[in-house]
Order: sequence, then C-alpha cells, then structure tokens
Amino acid sequence: MNLERLQTLLGPENVSTAVEDKIVYSRDASRLEGECLAVAWPSQAEQVAALVEWARAEDVDLAPRGAGTGLCGGATPQRSVVVDLSRLTHTGPVEVEQRRVQVGAGVVLGGLNRRLAKEGLFLPVIPGSHRAASIGGMIATDAAGLRAVRYGTMRAWIEAITLVDGMGRLHHLTGDALDDAVGREGVTGFIVEATVRLAPLPAQRTVSLLAFDDEASLLAQRDKWLADPSTGSGQAPRLTALEYLNRHAAAAIGWEARPHLLAEFDSAGGEINDPARIADLWCARDGLYPVLARSGHPVIEDPQVEGEGLASLLAWLETQEIPAFGHLGLGIVHPCFRPGDDRITSLYDQVAGWGGRVSGEHGIGLKKKPWVGAAFRAEIRQLKETYDPQNVINRGKLC
Amino acid sequence: MLNEPIDNAPCIECGLCREVCPIFTILRREHVSPRGLAILADRGIASAVFYQCTLCRACRVVCPVGHDPAGEQVRARVVAQGVETEANRTMIANIRQYGNPFGPLKEGEIPKTLTCC
Ligand SMILES: Cc1cc2nc3c(=O)[nH]c(=O)nc-3n(C[C@H](O)[C@H](O)[C@H](O)COP(=O)(O)OP(=O)(O)OC[C@H]3O[C@@H](n4cnc5c(N)ncnc54)[C@H](O)[C@@H]3O)c2cc1C
Ligand code: SF4
Ligand code: SF4
Repeated sequence: MNLERLQTLLGPENVSTAVEDKIVYSRDASRLEGECLAVAWPSQAEQVAALVEWARAEDVDLAPRGAGTGLCGGATPQRSVVVDLSRLTHTGPVEVEQRRVQVGAGVVLGGLNRRLAKEGLFLPVIPGSHRAASIGGMIATDAAGLRAVRYGTMRAWIEAITLVDGMGRLHHLTGDALDDAVGREGVTGFIVEATVRLAPLPAQRTVSLLAFDDEASLLAQRDKWLADPSTGSGQAPRLTALEYLNRHAAAAIGWEARPHLLAEFDSAGGEINDPARIADLWCARDGLYPVLARSGHPVIEDPQVEGEGLASLLAWLETQEIPAFGHLGLGIVHPCFRPGDDRITSLYDQVAGWGGRVSGEHGIGLKKKPWVGAAFRAEIRQLKETYDPQNVINRGKLC
Repeated sequence: MLNEPIDNAPCIECGLCREVCPIFTILRREHVSPRGLAILADRGIASAVFYQCTLCRACRVVCPVGHDPAGEQVRARVVAQGVETEANRTMIANIRQYGNPFGPLKEGEIPKTLTCC
C-alpha cells in the first residue's frame, strides 16, 4: 500500500497510520471492531475523489465515517482506510424563503439546528444522537428518530446530494436518483454535500408522559393518538413524537417501573408545558441507550413492526424481560441485550413472521447481514455495479 | 497522590460528547475526542495524545453515563510508563522548584503567558 502517494495527494498531516488513530477508528458506537490500515481526513470533494483514485490503483477498501455514532458497524473498517468526513463542514447561506440550506457531509445536526433556530427553522429529523451525528451519516443511514412520526426519515428532507462514487466520479443526485445514496450506508459512494429542506420551528411544544399497566393498554392509547392527536382539548395539536419505554427501560432512568409513552405535540394539548421540565424529559430520553448500555445491555437492535405484529413483538420482549424502548409512532423498537445473547437471533428470526423488517433506522452494516433477503442483496449488487464496480467503498457491508 | 474518581462509569463509546470537547472541535480527529481518549486509556496505551486534553471536563457534564476522563490519573500513569512531553516536564519541574508552572518570577511579576479558556 503506497501511503506516501496518499500523503502527497491529501497532505501528510491529513493521513495517519499512528497506532492511536488505528485503534480509535477500528470501531464505531456498535463497538464491532475491524482492522484499520490508516485514516484519512479529506476536507474537500476533490480530495475524496483523489482518495478513491488512489484506492482503485491500490485495491484498498475505503470505509466512510461521519461521527461514528452508528450502531451496526457500518463505519467499522475491515482492512480498510477509514475516511473521516467530519472536516467537510462548510455550510451555505440559509435560504429562509425556500427553507433549505446546503451543507457539507461533516456538518453536525446539533450545531446546524442551533444556527437555524435563529431563522425560526430546523432540520426536523432528530435521532437520539442529534448532538453528534453528521448529516452525511444521517443520509447514509436514512436516519429516523424521535420526531419521525411527524416528519418522517431523512429521505423526506433531502433535495440534492453530491456523491463521489467508487470510480471517483462526481454525481449530482436529485429526485428518484436520491435513492441511490439515501439509506445505502455508503456502499455507492461518499456523500460530500447535500441540500437539505427545513421546517419551521413549532411555536410551542407540550408533552404528555403516561404510565400504563400493560402493553395492551399502551398500544390502545398509541392507536388513539395516531388516529386523532387532538387529546380532547378542542384544539388540533399535531403529534410530533411518540416514544415508548418498557418497564425495564423506564426503571433504568429512574421512572416508575411501568410501560410509558412520552408524546409530544406542536401546540397546547400535552399535559406538561413547562419548557424546563420538557427539556429534562427529553434529556433523560436521549440518555436512555447509554444508560442501558452502562447497565450491561450495550447491544441495541432496531426491528420495525406495524399492526398486530407490534403487539406480538412487545409481548415477546416483555416475557423475555428485555429492556426496550423506541419510536413507537413508527413501530421502531430498540431492545437492548447483553453481549452474546442468543435471543438476538431469535428476535430477528421472528421479525418477518410479525410482518416487520430487521432495521427500522440503524441500517444493516456488518451486524445484520445474516438477515437480509435475496432481493435486497440483488438490489445492492446492481447499485454496486453502477457506482462502485471495483468495490473499493465499504466492501463487505450490507451483503 | 491523586484521588481516583469514585465509581467512574466506563465510557460506552456513544460519541455524544464529541462536540463539546474544545480540542476535538478544532482538530476533528477521533483520538483526541473524549471517546478516543477513553478507548486508548482503557487499553493502557502510553501516548502523548493524553496531553492534548485540557482537563476541562465538559465531556463529563454532557455524558449520559457520567464518565470522567480522569485526565490527571491517566497522565500520571503515562508518565510512569515513560511518556511525557517536554512542556509537561518543564511545568512539573517549575511547580516543584518555584511553586508555579512558569519558572522563576521577579518579585510582584505576573506570568505573561497565563491564559484561561
Ligand atoms: C445514543 C445513540 C442514539 C441514537 N439514536 C438514533 C435514532 O434515534 N435514530 C437513528 O436513526 N439512529 C440513531 N442512532 C444511530 C446513529 O446515530 C445514526 O445512524 C446516525 O445517522 C449515524 O451518523 P454518523 O455521522 O455517526 O455516521 P457513522 O456512524 O459515521 O456512519 C454510519 C454509516 O454511514 C456511512 N457514512 C457516514 N458518513 C458518510 C458519508 N458522508 N458518505 C457516505 N457514507 C457515509 C458509514 O460508512 C456507515 O455505514 C443513535 C446512536 C446513538 C449512539
Ligand atoms: S464519554 Fe460518555 S458521552 Fe462520551 S462517548 Fe463515552 S459514554 Fe458517550
Ligand atoms: S476534559 Fe479533555 S476530553 Fe473532556 S472535553 Fe475537556 S478537553 Fe475534551
């Protein structure tokens, strides 16, 4: 591997084989680990294209990485050069009238939304990792998150993407072609820039926190809210979040050990309207996975199941006494396991029977490859043929 | 002897603290992020990277599990393993000899290089 050439292309300070870098870039938040050969920090699209050219000549795999908050080993190298895109941080002027902004892939959602708040706008896709996740990583995983019940996933908020593919070519993707990059977890190329659409910040937020005796009554309330979020208040507030915690998850953050629903509305209607109390509740919710991880359950999953299957999933988790929470408005549930728990296989083996899919939002990465179907594999192979025929980006991921 | 933080929760590598770290936000390089430092410390790596941390503990404030980077303890270990920057060596020697990190001062002189974030 001719690293000197790479250092000439990017500048010696932007390429490293230091042991410290190789260790910390060998894993993402899933803690699935692989071999990192080197790390590169491009700060422009042209440098990304040069990196790809170099990788083709050397036949080396490149692993795109945003903030490394991914939970399925998507950014984990496998004898790869990790390409850290977090220096692609340019942000264009906010187009307030058109409600959009152009951002580099390394821009962090939390910082972007703080800036947009001054204009009364925000990018409303809010994963629990919103303080750290990069726009590039969120597009690559088609992130969902806390407000997806109202605003959908990242796909709904992307107008255009600039992609450097596995041949080093630059694509300007719009319309249906966005599907070749959104949710593809980097296997079709590096997202270097995107134009994202923005939503007006709601003038008010209120929440309701309800505890239930069992999952059946909780699901009945969920269905009621989804059908009519007016909460009987005579107004028409819109549901902006509908989060679930089972009794184990609730107990882990100091709430009563009963199943809970945390619902948020974009106007009056919720029972809690004190902004400080609301902020505290969301802060506790943001810390839920880390707290469960600390309590010995670091392996987080994300099946998505709707309809009757959802009741079966929640009932199974309850009988197994598995801590779980999730974005219930969309049927995305996050059971958390101890490492090596063979009930993970059992869970995913049942998901198809419940009418669901194995990944609601985290992606497939390395972790969920055993559960993808033949049609998905064929689709990815077809995309690889078009965008990365030499297979130099995220080799061995997804299928 | 430095006090060990009582019951320091191990870092679970979520990365949520990256953007509050003053060093990471400048360098944007994982090995100086609180998560990177925690991974390296956990493996007992002796590296000058630990001297990049300002010991500000902004990461601990936002960490959902309350992980403390314990930079002082980590540096003490690293020094014992024989890795120390020249600046740290000079600073410690000055503190021992003159009671301040900057070296000999004239009567009433205020150190000119003292800055605070
Ligand atoms: C505490 C916590 C809570 C979370 N909550 C949610 C949640 O509510 N909803 C949700 O959807 N996810 C959640 N996640 C998972 C994760 O934060 C998301 O998947 C996020 O979108 C990943 O962004 P990232 O910048 O960290 O990407 P990374 O982890 O760095 O990468 C993720 C994937 O995208 C690829 N990639 C990254 N950047 C690019 C790029 N510029 N071009 C091409 N490919 C790229 C990588 O190769 C990898 O396959 C959570 C994670 C944590 C730790
Ligand atoms: S120090 Fe805390 S916030 Fe930072 S990565 Fe570790 S667990 Fe997460
Ligand atoms: S204590 Fe060190 S690692 Fe933590 S935020 Fe401050 S400089 Fe960063």
